[in-house]
Amino acid sequence: MVFLVEALTTVEVKQMLKLKISQALPNPLQIYLECEAGQLHALVGPSGSGKTSTLRTIAGLSQAKTGRIQCDDEIWFEANDVTGVQINLPPASRSCGFLFQQYALFPHLSAIENVIIPLQNSALAKQERRSLAQEWLDRMGIAELANRLPHQLSGGQQQRVALARALARQPKILLLDEPFSAIDTPTRQSLYKTLADLRKDLHIPILLVTHDLHEADLLADRITVIDQGFSLQTAAPQVLFQKPRNARVAELVGINNMFEGVFNSGELHWNDSEHVFQVLDKGKIPPNTPVAWVIPADGLSINEQASNTSIIAKVTQISTLGQVAVIQLQLHGGKHMITWQASAAEVKRLALKIGNLTNLELDSSKIHIMPLRLINDPRLFTS
Amino acid sequence: MNPMDIDAILLSLKLAGWTLVLIIPFGIWAAHKLIRLDRGRPWVEAALALPLVLPPTVLGYYLLIGLGGKSIFGIPLVFSFTGILIASLIVNLPFAIQPIQRAFESINPEIREAAQVSGLSNWQIFRLIELPLAWRGITSAAVLTFAHTLGEFGVILMVGGAIPGETKTVSIAIYDKVQSFDTSGAGALALLLLGISLVAIAVSYGVFGRGTHHRRGKANAEA
Repeated sequence: MVFLVEALTTVEVKQMLKLKISQALPNPLQIYLECEAGQLHALVGPSGSGKTSTLRTIAGLSQAKTGRIQCDDEIWFEANDVTGVQINLPPASRSCGFLFQQYALFPHLSAIENVIIPLQNSALAKQERRSLAQEWLDRMGIAELANRLPHQLSGGQQQRVALARALARQPKILLLDEPFSAIDTPTRQSLYKTLADLRKDLHIPILLVTHDLHEADLLADRITVIDQGFSLQTAAPQVLFQKPRNARVAELVGINNMFEGVFNSGELHWNDSEHVFQVLDKGKIPPNTPVAWVIPADGLSINEQASNTSIIAKVTQISTLGQVAVIQLQLHGGKHMITWQASAAEVKRLALKIGNLTNLELDSSKIHIMPLRLINDPRLFTS
Repeated sequence: MNPMDIDAILLSLKLAGWTLVLIIPFGIWAAHKLIRLDRGRPWVEAALALPLVLPPTVLGYYLLIGLGGKSIFGIPLVFSFTGILIASLIVNLPFAIQPIQRAFESINPEIREAAQVSGLSNWQIFRLIELPLAWRGITSAAVLTFAHTLGEFGVILMVGGAIPGETKTVSIAIYDKVQSFDTSGAGALALLLLGISLVAIAVSYGVFGRGTHHRRGKANAEA
């Protein structure tokens, strides 16, 4: 079993978290990511994919058999198959702020006492600890709730106390384990803002575990998609949605228009149809390779006039939600379904009705092609 | 009530007091160890729960063997206060450990993890988080042990006999009185024991009930 976590923070100002995990048993795990100070890095994936395991391993709440975790110039954990565990700092000695999904506040202590707990071992005098804790509560906008017990606080307020507690020790990294999933939507919005503000001030790497892609898109500078223990792709949100590395990533990030085809020297043959698109590649794809391909929303349009590249498609469904309309189109004479998003005004202008035949334009320069199957070659992670 | 009855009452209180002082710290330690014990836990728990199911005569017999002669401690301990104190400690193990163990078990593991990532040492976690969260279980254990020690009869009789001022506790005094047809004397002591037990348990229930209200009320006042 190889299990490697690297957390590197280089210079004082520019901190960096590097993470490299590899494990075969008991649950396969192969995670690679890098996160700079001040960056918010989201780990996204279905439940059971290994996101939380990764976070817990960094914090020291779970232990790997072999591997390495380094933060700044401190090695938190180091072990390998040959020599066994050499270094394994307890969670208390790793400078991590950790935010739990269910807050995990100390139920017998008031809000301010909860925030004082991480300051127990600081050099500060008792009164200074209290005023520092109060400052953190002020910063979270809950100064007046200092003497409340956790059960007297709402979910959002509890999470703010938990955030103050996680940061009171001035950790080198902040780990957030699905911190917003138990909180109602309006409160979540204000917590998003708090987090966004904090990110700028803290200047430490922040890792956010979430299964909510929208949340990751909204908050994160970079996203790592994790599935069945493998980190499939790390990219900025926009890149991820437009250029998923493979079919599984596209599926996981909820891309609607994904199809299969065969790629042969610049030509993409759409499976189960006669359509062929000219697609540029970097010459990496061998001839006659089965591929998956996606077309982003802005690569689709509907024209009143047919052209020699237009595709005839039938409108099968129109759903209008406020100013946005989602139109389902079925390829004429085929089974492929395409989802087209447009403004309600555009739909009105085109006078689209269910059953209409339309001229769909597909901008082939926006087509993104990718391998059909997952690439889970462990050798990819050894370099 | 004659002086011998007073002696019996004082002896019972002394025995219960010493049992409490010695067994509660041990109970906290043992319960805390038990919840982290992976291997052999059912056997350890079974051994600790034995006094609940064994007849007092069986327990008394083994204690007589173990404490008699020069005893395992090198000095004779049967028919002495130390002897009945050891017996009382063993008999009370399940009453002291189980409520505390349940209290520790009911603490959400995430709370402990939160304490770990907050930088607390194991001792700090125990002192600042686990102990305050388990205090009801500890109170419960103390009350049960106290009341149970006052009422313990069989094992005390076998190990201690009925030496006035040394091993003759209230429950044994009641037995002696009934044997010698002193029913009114027995009745007075029985009523006393009943009263003490009732008060002890009622007080503990009261403490439990008020616990949350008190804390809540205080917090509200501060807010």
